[in-house]
Amino acid sequence: METKRRITIALAGNANVGKSVIFNQLTGLDQVIGNWPGKTVERAEGTLHYHGYSIRILDLPGTYSLSAFSIEEIVARDYIAIERPDVIVNVVDASALERNLYFTIQLLELEAPVVMALNQVDFAAKKGIRVDNEKLSKALGIPVAPTVAITGIGIDELLSTIVKILEGKTELTPLKIRYGKEIEDRLEKLELKIREKLPELSAKYPARWIAVKLLDKDEDITAKVEGYQNGAEISALANAIAKEIERIHGEPSPIVIASERYSIASGMAEDVARIEAPPRLHLEERLDSITAHKILGYPILALVMTAMFATIFIVGDILVRTLENLFKNILIPATLYLLSTVLPSALVDLISKGFLSGIAAGVTIALPYIVPFYVILSILEDSGYLPRVAFLLDNPMHKIGLHGKASICLLLGYGCNVPACTGCRIMETQRERLLAGFVTVLIPCAARTVVILGLVGRYIGIPAALGLYAFDLLLVFTLGRVGFKALPGEPVGLIMEMPPYKMPSMKTVARKTWARTKDFVYIAFPLIIAGSVVLEALAVTGLIWSIADLMNPLIVGWLGLPSIAGIPIIFGILRKELTLILLADLAGTLNFSQVLTPVQMIVFSLVTMIYVPCIATIAALIREFKWKKALAISIIDILLALVIGGVAFRLLTYILG
Amino acid sequence: MSIEPQLLELLELIKAQNKLARPGGLALELGCSLDDLGKLLEKASKEGLVERMADTWRLTDKGRIEVQRHRERYIHEKYGHKPGFLGQITRFVEGSIQDWRGHWRRRHGLDENSLRGFYKNIQDLEGRVEETSSLADLHPGERGIVAFALGGYGLIRRLADMGLTPGTEVTVIRNAPFRGPIEVAVRGVSLALGYGVASKVFVKRPKGTD
Repeated sequence: METKRRITIALAGNANVGKSVIFNQLTGLDQVIGNWPGKTVERAEGTLHYHGYSIRILDLPGTYSLSAFSIEEIVARDYIAIERPDVIVNVVDASALERNLYFTIQLLELEAPVVMALNQVDFAAKKGIRVDNEKLSKALGIPVAPTVAITGIGIDELLSTIVKILEGKTELTPLKIRYGKEIEDRLEKLELKIREKLPELSAKYPARWIAVKLLDKDEDITAKVEGYQNGAEISALANAIAKEIERIHGEPSPIVIASERYSIASGMAEDVARIEAPPRLHLEERLDSITAHKILGYPILALVMTAMFATIFIVGDILVRTLENLFKNILIPATLYLLSTVLPSALVDLISKGFLSGIAAGVTIALPYIVPFYVILSILEDSGYLPRVAFLLDNPMHKIGLHGKASICLLLGYGCNVPACTGCRIMETQRERLLAGFVTVLIPCAARTVVILGLVGRYIGIPAALGLYAFDLLLVFTLGRVGFKALPGEPVGLIMEMPPYKMPSMKTVARKTWARTKDFVYIAFPLIIAGSVVLEALAVTGLIWSIADLMNPLIVGWLGLPSIAGIPIIFGILRKELTLILLADLAGTLNFSQVLTPVQMIVFSLVTMIYVPCIATIAALIREFKWKKALAISIIDILLALVIGGVAFRLLTYILG
Repeated sequence: MSIEPQLLELLELIKAQNKLARPGGLALELGCSLDDLGKLLEKASKEGLVERMADTWRLTDKGRIEVQRHRERYIHEKYGHKPGFLGQITRFVEGSIQDWRGHWRRRHGLDENSLRGFYKNIQDLEGRVEETSSLADLHPGERGIVAFALGGYGLIRRLADMGLTPGTEVTVIRNAPFRGPIEVAVRGVSLALGYGVASKVFVKRPKGTD
């Protein structure tokens, strides 16, 4: 067999253009999702075998620009400039050509080998827009392959275009981006100076691009330039030039540059795209005007959320029962039988109760709720509903120093805090992410809902359970406000694209769910299993009872709960719904009204709702915010739960006599 | 010292007509008789705000400063304060502002760079300042052309990257209740802008719209 040629291609483009759909079409299930080294930016990588090539495909984060506002933009451009993939596929939304070409122009400025995938040509046609891809290809000097990623149309042609470039059969003559004369003359001067004074840096990035970026007042590049010995001189020259441009145009130089890029993009878009027919988007438009309506939008949002959680609980419940039976009656006994033939019984006990029940807990309790949650989430995401949610809820989010996008994190939190923490990446700055993460873990997830409904909802009544939810929201807002005031920095306003509604493709939804579930299993399972083993070891050695005794003053004295409630609360760190199961085990009954008074039920639920997010969430927090902040959030939550629990116990006892 | 509104309107008009202000046209725009206009011009020149060059009128340096102050006040009214009762309280508490630069810096957090840009922006504003309004004040269906954005570098660059550069036409699609975000169509895409962001974007209303 001939040896395969290994090459790397990277997908780059705006958000919401179908980049990840193309990625999925190219790689299938053969993909690895992780983080960029040292950064909390998702990195998706996959491999494709095509015509004797082994093609490594990287999905760069979707950004609107290649400046240095967000970590995503820096990650994307550093990868393109420094790692230099063999080909960059610029995925472009044909229905929003102008804005997308703004990004393409920046790719060309980076002097990267670019191929364009002109995606969503079907949707553009629906909007009445026809793009002449050959004309566009000529204008840009790069190959343009029209695609409809969702159905896979054009993917083969895209691949053969890429191969033609690799084999030198297609020559790239990329358009040189030229600004107005007054900028161009000065750019040239600056570029020459950079080549002369900073040879190392201009070996890394194109010199002209460095010059443009300096006039763009790009902090990252300016810092890099100033890191060199001759850097100060260059940056002083750039500053002087920027001032001159500002004087001529009356706008800051970055705005002048952005304006000129946009006018190139706009001219080109006008040239190659034709409005052929009036848009046929009646359904989409009607959906848009109802779901984002200033009054109707809110009841619809409530309805969508209710339907979502009802589905998750109904489907989850059925799955839990089926899987539990499978584990309890078949898998665990079978494994135990096999193990007991070779190992001593104490060890078998530890393995069965710790290791196996850890896996069982994860599979039978967590996954049945998580998987349907991910399915619905992907549907909402791909249809374009989530930005409408952010739009409707922007105003209340500002009260806690966040903007509308944070409401998406909070909503995710009601399903499971783990993806919600990861979801905080949609916020623009580190400050916003931390603030969103801090309030998100206080949102009662599906597991906590099980406890609240199973205890308070069942024995006291649904109104009381809803009261707990309302209290939780109040808490989120109060703490959010405190965090907002305490964290240094300015809040960032909402600037968000509202993509048009689209029919989600089930294939993409399935793939997304699969990737996310895998991610969840990787983060959560090791900790759930390790935690189970540790706690089981404590139980086997009897240490658990000493710990329970130590906690008695807190549990009995301060929170007013029965002594047996201490152990479920410790175990609850593993998975919160375990608290209820354990409580039943220890009390020896499923009728909780025999062991807990109504006040105790409320206090128990409150504490479970607020104290440390489960161990999987802590892992997610560590991944997003590092050890120190994750620890701080966990400690704050424990203290908060204890204070609120104790106060609630006294207050409720006083009120209810 | 404050100038009466009619006089200010005259100054704005003369500035807007950019060295081509003739009495006939001015009277037409102001909707007054030539006689009244004559009186107004006389008053203005007595105060040293305008001067006559052949058959046209233009602003003196003093007149230009007056216009600039007026524009600054206008933009401030539109941008800085909540309308209605709350706004009145704020304005009462603040009193009359003497040190404008200081006010922009302290109250609105503009740095020296953006402040310089802002002054240049309001000077370069074509037409009368009253044709400018904040994007947040536009109603669904209304159009505007981006004149400038008031804010730090970070914000105006983010806006520019999303296509909201000076000269771009935007159409308001809808707004959310209670000072919620505003959805606008710009360069063929829809953007949602938070109320705070939208109120920092100033647009000119194209002629022939209201």
